[in-house]
Order: sequence, then structure tokens, then C-alpha cells
Amino acid sequence: MKGIFSVTVENRYGVLSKIAGLFARRGFNINSLAVGETDDRNISSMTIVSSGDERIMEQIEKQLNKKIDVIKVRRFTEGKCVMRELLMIKIAYTNATRADIMQICSITGAHVADLAPKTMVIELTAKTTKVDRFIKLMQPFGIIEMARTGAVAIQRDLND
Amino acid sequence: MMTGADVMVKCLEKKDIHTVFGYPGVAICPFFDSLYRSDIDVVLVRAEQNGGHMASGYARVTRKPAVAVATSGPGATNLITAIATAYADSIPLIAITGQVETSLLGRDVFQEADITGACEPFVKYSYLVRDPADIPRIFEEAFYIASTGRRGPVLIDVPVDIQNKASEYVPAERVSLRGYKPTVKGNDLQINKVIETLTKAKRPLICTGGGTILANAEDEMKQFIDRHNIPAVSTMMGIGALPSDDPHYMGMLGTNGKPYANYAVAECDVLMLVGARVADRAVVKPYKLERRNTTIIHIDVDPAEIGKNLGTTIPLVGDIKVVMQKLLERDFESDYSEWTGTLEQKKADYVPNHHFNPDFVDPCLFVKTLSSMMEDDAVYVADVGQNQLWSADNYVMKHGRFLTTGGFGTMSYSIPAAMGARAAFPDKQVIAVCGDGSFQMAMMELSTMQHYGLHIKFVIMHNGYLGLVREYQHHNYDDRYSGTNLGEWPDFAKLADAYGIGYFHLTSNSGMEDTIREFLAAEGSGMMVCEVYPYDLVKE
Repeated sequence: MKGIFSVTVENRYGVLSKIAGLFARRGFNINSLAVGETDDRNISSMTIVSSGDERIMEQIEKQLNKKIDVIKVRRFTEGKCVMRELLMIKIAYTNATRADIMQICSITGAHVADLAPKTMVIELTAKTTKVDRFIKLMQPFGIIEMARTGAVAIQRDLND
Repeated sequence: MMTGADVMVKCLEKKDIHTVFGYPGVAICPFFDSLYRSDIDVVLVRAEQNGGHMASGYARVTRKPAVAVATSGPGATNLITAIATAYADSIPLIAITGQVETSLLGRDVFQEADITGACEPFVKYSYLVRDPADIPRIFEEAFYIASTGRRGPVLIDVPVDIQNKASEYVPAERVSLRGYKPTVKGNDLQINKVIETLTKAKRPLICTGGGTILANAEDEMKQFIDRHNIPAVSTMMGIGALPSDDPHYMGMLGTNGKPYANYAVAECDVLMLVGARVADRAVVKPYKLERRNTTIIHIDVDPAEIGKNLGTTIPLVGDIKVVMQKLLERDFESDYSEWTGTLEQKKADYVPNHHFNPDFVDPCLFVKTLSSMMEDDAVYVADVGQNQLWSADNYVMKHGRFLTTGGFGTMSYSIPAAMGARAAFPDKQVIAVCGDGSFQMAMMELSTMQHYGLHIKFVIMHNGYLGLVREYQHHNYDDRYSGTNLGEWPDFAKLADAYGIGYFHLTSNSGMEDTIREFLAAEGSGMMVCEVYPYDLVKE
């Protein structure tokens, strides 16, 4: 089972290490973790994706809440939030492969962020599963290096 | 002109702190200098860890936060065990450490340690002070955090330049922490459910933990069980929540508990945990309760404890005192007389199968006799090891306190904690009971004891072994006593003499009462060595 935690924390030194340490110490998984400031500079927002059974998810939520630097914890299931991550991937290309690469990009909504004579950097913002699939598609061309942010998520409001 | 250190002292005075336990060093010298010019007493301990335990003992008997101080680097790291002990036992401890100059932080200079980083797993919260103007707010918050919700240690690390900087004392306003709002009241819907469940129950049982004592809810607890005729067991940290002569009290549960207490846990249909965290020594196999479909009511101030080790049917988050008061306001019909009858019979029929060597002191009889002969409101501090389990099993609770580190199990806790209790209540009888192993971990404090007149009576159960580990080796390692033989030393009589402490010696059960009477009546500190058979077992 996957749990997505959106955690607002005080923007102070050492908070990230406290949160990461809590996961390490108690043996909770971190599948991904993304941090950034919010519109209020004193508050940061973390998105942590973890996996485990219901009891572990409940413990993660409670242990996070116990941290005094943690202001609010929200736990989502995948359907209840909009979740995206950013991928930057550097691919080697030749004249023969360039068109194929560009076509895959246009189908998947990826963009070329930088173009050099033999390589290009592609960026993709998408759901984690889609990012995974895109990486698979790029593998035959030769991945030189890549970086991904880990998921960030925000709650989805109901339509009605 | 005031300095940061002066402001720190002002903050302690505001919190009514009269004594701090500590050990100085260059990085905390400005603070010690300000203490020197104040009315706060400094107890110079002989090792920082013991200072932390003294503060723990002081905090437990006064039911308020107490303060331990150390310098940077090794001083601070020496304090860690005491901080971790306070964390596991939920004791409101304020640890103040000196730190190297702000501009040198992170450069691995002389006596620098990242103590806030090192302590993170064992503190409720920690501060590294960056600006002397923050000191009043930080101290106000630290005391608030330590003494509310689930109690625990808070660390304040103060760089030496911050202590020296000119500052002024502007009292902090009321604490407001958006990330810390402990639930006190207890949800009324959940309270309804508790009442409903107890009304339907045939065989309810209350298990009280240390949380009841930390919340000062002993009276409410006793009223509740007496009014509704509900039997109760306690965890080790919960010993003292109920007097031993209460007919509803079935003693301590768990691995080292009373068989009839464990029978009650196994047979009950509703188990109401109150300020108890279902640790492994108390409830060894929580899944058994789950399988039996026992209804679990779990009342705790820390929501994270509910459901952590045991599935819970009715969670109820709140301060134990407030929740028990609310439960007392509610009336419900209940008749558990058949169940309580069965348990009382079990208790009456119980014959301890403990064997002991008649050439030595029977430790169980000794604890019973000692605790019966102590003053009604005496403080009894048990250390860790066989002595702790004998104490827990046989201590006779009247109106005093039973202190031990049931959560962390830190050897050497008893003597410093007892001294801390004594510092808080100079007129109270305070007794520590330890083994010869734990005693030798704390014996440097005998000079502190004598120097500050923190007179306690302490008992050393002497068997020349680390008894509980030896017992474990007996059961699990074919009697290969690897690293557990303490040998012949020291000569306790000479040691007592060296510190000017009264010495009492008990070699067998004969004359036990007389020796204990003399020991308790003696002026000043007293050491009593009980010769215990090295091969005695807590569990046979």
C-alpha cells in the first residue's frame, strides 16, 4: 500500500533531517521526498511517498504529528490528489534517432530543455508511473544521466 | 547590564527552579557564573549522566520539570544517556548544554559536538540558541513542552558567545506553538463509548501505566476502580498508582509480573489501558489479545502510542486526570462481582514458588520487609536488574512513590535519582535499592551525597554478579557466565567509611527487621549491604 503525505513544517534548520531521521529510525520507507517553501516563507511543504500496511501508514501520520516542527499532516491515497514529478534526462542522439525521440516527446508531453550537438536534455512533468514509462522508452537511445524530483502532491477537491 | 546567561537564570527563577544538577566547563562558564550570583543552588555532580538522573528523580517527586546542566562536547554527550532515559520514561527534564562559539559551529573545534543532532531521537524538542533575545521565549516553550502532553526531555544548547552577549530580560508571552497542541480533554463521543463498553462488560480490567502517575491521576484512578469494583493491574512504571492493599489491585503484569495479574489480562473481555504503552515486557504477545477479541480501550495523552503495539477498539486521547474526572462524572450500572471474586480468589491462592538459599538474604522477603517498615510517604527507587524485579514484585505501596526506569532500564539510575528526590524533599525518607553492578556505576556520587547533605539510604544487593544477565546466561547459554562475574571487590565497609557513610550488613534473614530498623533510623546517609545468593533466580 502506498501512502502520500503532504506535510507542512516550520521552515527552520534541521527540520528535514528530523523528518528523514524519523523515517530511518522507525524503519518506515521513503519512496520519494520533495521539499520546498510555500507562499509563507516560514513554512515549507514536504511531499513524502511511503509504502507499507495500514498500521504503518497510521504510525507515520501519528509520529509526524508528534514532531513539534510539523504543523499539519495530510495523508492522501493516489486518487484523492494531483501528483506530479519532474524528470530531467540527458539522451544521446544521432541524425537517425532524433526524429524518433522528438516524436516520443510530443506524444508524452515532454519538452526539449537543451539541445547540444550530440545530446539533448528532455524535461517531463508527469505522474510517477508515466515518468517511469518514459524512462523505459528512452533507454534504447542511451541515457547519459538523469535526475528526478520525487513526487509533489496537492489535494484534489471534489467536483460537486 | 545583563548577559544572555543572566537572562537564562532569570528564566529559571521565573519557573521556580531552586536547584540545578550539573558539571561546568568553559562553554557553560558564563551560565555557571550567573548561577553563582543567583539564589539557585548548584549541585556539582561527579558525572553528567548522574546529574541528569538526579534531575529526573527531582522532577518525578515534584511533578515539575527539573534542570540538568553540562558543558559542550564530552559534557553534553555524557548527558545523553540520562536524556534518553527521561525520554523513554516520559520525565519532564530540561537539559541545558554549553556550546562552542556560534562562529565556530560546524568546524569540529575543541569540545564541539552536534548535541541537538545527536539527541534528536531522544528529546521531545531541542533548541540551538542563535540570539540571546530568543532566550525567554525558548525557555518558556521548553518548560511548556516538557511538562504538557506526554512529558519528556527538552534540550537547550547555548553557544558560549550567546551566553556572554549583552541582552535584557523581557519575559516571554504565553506560549503558542502551531505544531504543538496536545489533546487534553478527551473526546466526549469516545467517553460515551467507554462507558457503554464498560456497562456491557462482564470481565473488565484496567491496566494502569506510568501515565497515570505523570498526570497526577492516582486519586481519580483509585476512586474509579473502587466505585465500579473494577480490578486493575499495573505496568512497572505504573507501580505506585494504586496502594498495594487495595483489594482491586492485582499487581504488576508481564514477563516479570504476578501470575494472577497475567491471568486477569488473559481472561478479561475488556482491557482498559490507561497511560500505558503496551511495551514488550508488559504485554509480550499482543496478538494473543487481538485473537481473543478482547475489547481494547486505550487512553493516552500521546496519540502515537494508541495502536502502535496493539490494535485498539476504542482510542481515547487526553490527559489521564481530565479523562478520569470525566469518567467519574458518569454513572453506570455494573456488576462484576463474579469476576472480581474469581480474581481475588486467584490472588489469595497464590503461593510464590520462589526458592532461596537460607544461608543468604531472601531478596523478596527483604523488599517486602523494608517497604513495609518505611515511612508511609517514603520514596523507593529501584535500580535495574534482579533487584528491580524483586523490588517491583514485592514492594509494598502505601502513600509513597516507587521510582524506577521501567522504560529505558538504565543501570545506575537509583542512587542519583534518589538523591534528586532528596534534594526536592529534604525531610522525606528516600531509599534506593540497587545491585552491586549498578552501584559501582554510580558510586562516584557518594561524595556528592555527602558534600551536599543529600542523605539517602541505599541498599546494595550483593551477589558478585550482574545477576539478571547471569540468570539469562543460565537459562539460555548453558551457564557460561561470560563477562558477568564482578568478583570480590570493593570492600563495601571500607568504602562507606571512606565517605563517612553509615554501614549496615545483612548476611541472612535472621535479624532482618532489627537491621532495617537501625538502618532507617540512622542519622545521615546509610549503606546497607545484603548478601544475596549469587545463583538466585527471579524466574525459576
